[in-house]
Amino acid sequence: MNKALNLINLNKLHISSKQLFKLNVFVILCAICFLLACVNGSIAINFTDIFSGEISDLTKIVLLEIRLPRVILAALVGASLGISGAALQGLFRNPLADPGLIGVSAGAALGATLVIVLGSNFLSGFMLGSFLLPLGAISGAMLVIMMLYMLTKGFGYQGVTYMLLVGIAVNAIAGVGIGILTFISTDSELRGLTFWTMGSFGGVTWPLLIPAIIIILISVASMMTVSRNLDLIQLGEPEAYRLGVDVKKLKYKIIISCAAAVGASVSLSGMIGFVGLVVPHLVRLFGGVNHNYLLPGSAFIGAALMITADMVARTMIQPAELPVGLITSAIGSPFFLWLIFRIKRS
Amino acid sequence: MSIKADSINIDLGGRSILNDVSIKIHQGEILSVIGPNGAGKSTLLKSLAGDIKPSSGAIHYDNKDISDVNIQERAFTRSVMSQLQAIAFDFSVKEIIEMGWVDRGESTYAAEFENAVMDVVTKCGVKDLINRNFNTLSGGEQRRIHFARTLLQLWRPSDSSDPKYLLLDEPTANLDLTYEVKLLNIVKEAANDGTGVMLVLHDLNLAAKFSDKIVLLDKGGVVKIGTPSEVLNSKILSKVYDIEIKVQEDPLFITYY
Repeated sequence: MNKALNLINLNKLHISSKQLFKLNVFVILCAICFLLACVNGSIAINFTDIFSGEISDLTKIVLLEIRLPRVILAALVGASLGISGAALQGLFRNPLADPGLIGVSAGAALGATLVIVLGSNFLSGFMLGSFLLPLGAISGAMLVIMMLYMLTKGFGYQGVTYMLLVGIAVNAIAGVGIGILTFISTDSELRGLTFWTMGSFGGVTWPLLIPAIIIILISVASMMTVSRNLDLIQLGEPEAYRLGVDVKKLKYKIIISCAAAVGASVSLSGMIGFVGLVVPHLVRLFGGVNHNYLLPGSAFIGAALMITADMVARTMIQPAELPVGLITSAIGSPFFLWLIFRIKRS
Repeated sequence: MSIKADSINIDLGGRSILNDVSIKIHQGEILSVIGPNGAGKSTLLKSLAGDIKPSSGAIHYDNKDISDVNIQERAFTRSVMSQLQAIAFDFSVKEIIEMGWVDRGESTYAAEFENAVMDVVTKCGVKDLINRNFNTLSGGEQRRIHFARTLLQLWRPSDSSDPKYLLLDEPTANLDLTYEVKLLNIVKEAANDGTGVMLVLHDLNLAAKFSDKIVLLDKGGVVKIGTPSEVLNSKILSKVYDIEIKVQEDPLFITYY
């Protein structure tokens, strides 16, 4: 673990040993959730069976082809929403920033919808699923972040409410776009659409998953390299610059990484709300606000939370399945309210 | 070694803010900038810090044009304290001070990190505050913490002779009498150790007591540069500030009410 932290250029001066210990706990928590999610489901699998090799072909297929990709996807989406939420809150210097609330996810959804509905006419299925879909979603997400940046005049601190209002508008615009595209889509395209507008990890396969794994891991690693600069920018942009931070480069790096991580996630799992908002606040409550701790912490807790939410979604009312977005919103929206009251009080 | 502005002009939004200003911050010297509101004091400080690019003229850091000094090197050379924005998250006071530590990528420096922080904390007398939540401090306490951060940015091992400069924009705003004098004494000490200092001040008596040189600005131009007794002249001051100002010499004392 410590070695891995070094690899991503963590400066140990700016993280306490207590926080390092907590990060280790988060990793273990994440691993436990991962294992539990692999064995629980409509077909239960025994731990001992896996390790002793006494496993039927059917169980093997269920585990390797259905459950494992699904759990990995849940972990990746949770990690990327968690860390993107933390990074955006840091960059905007705004505790209410969340890829869903400010419209980044909606932008990604619109981009993906465009690809599904318009792209299917002249592109082969393979190209469509693996590459073009994430690309469309990423472009949509990037467009929204750029727009937010311009509308809030460089993410100025004053823009707390303003940014949320812009987010509402962007969500509405994207909603209209998706609505129109849904209306003109054919039956088969409609199936593709409903698959992820509800927010689900079901039906993911390895060929779809692998590009997403690569994109998300690269974006997460790239965010980690600027965690110290995210601390410094809390003092304000001029101050960060005077402390040697190339503010422009930092912004581009965060914008592009968040757009890529959120875009890739949304393209595979649909819009899943509130994770990017709730997770960073949870992690801050556990152990501090410095980004050397917050960013990896949000990735691990996001992953653990999402794996668990997905496990609950697919086991609670077996054999039917709840949309996972429903569960995260059920937890997240009251939390959002509480957060608003807390900010208002201070 | 010095930071200097060579006949700089700054126009913002079509309005001339600074007009042909030349000044020099020498190592080991305190240069105070005084003048009425809107004289261009903060703009001058920002342009010397590298925040604003002059429309014409040049800024030099130790004889190098500022555009040839990269952002990181600038951070090693000068630290800046100015009016600050609110901080959105609950950082501890210690974390805020530590933000002044510019990573030099040298292990010899990194090993000194804890020492340097304690050094600065003791010097500024903020030891009792370091575990507090920064956002719960009073305005004056917050300024003292930012000042400590500014000092940490210029911290050097005792054998280092790298040039360093402090640019402070009204560092004593919100401070009570005790800390006003304490802070300026620390600044004086830093200057005695070879730091070049630029102070933007409103209080003319503080400027008289603590400066080696004073620049009087008015309407974007330099009215006079010189030693305190040369610049703090009742005739010049009364004209610039447009009220009657009396100056008593030796020790210099300024009254205007």
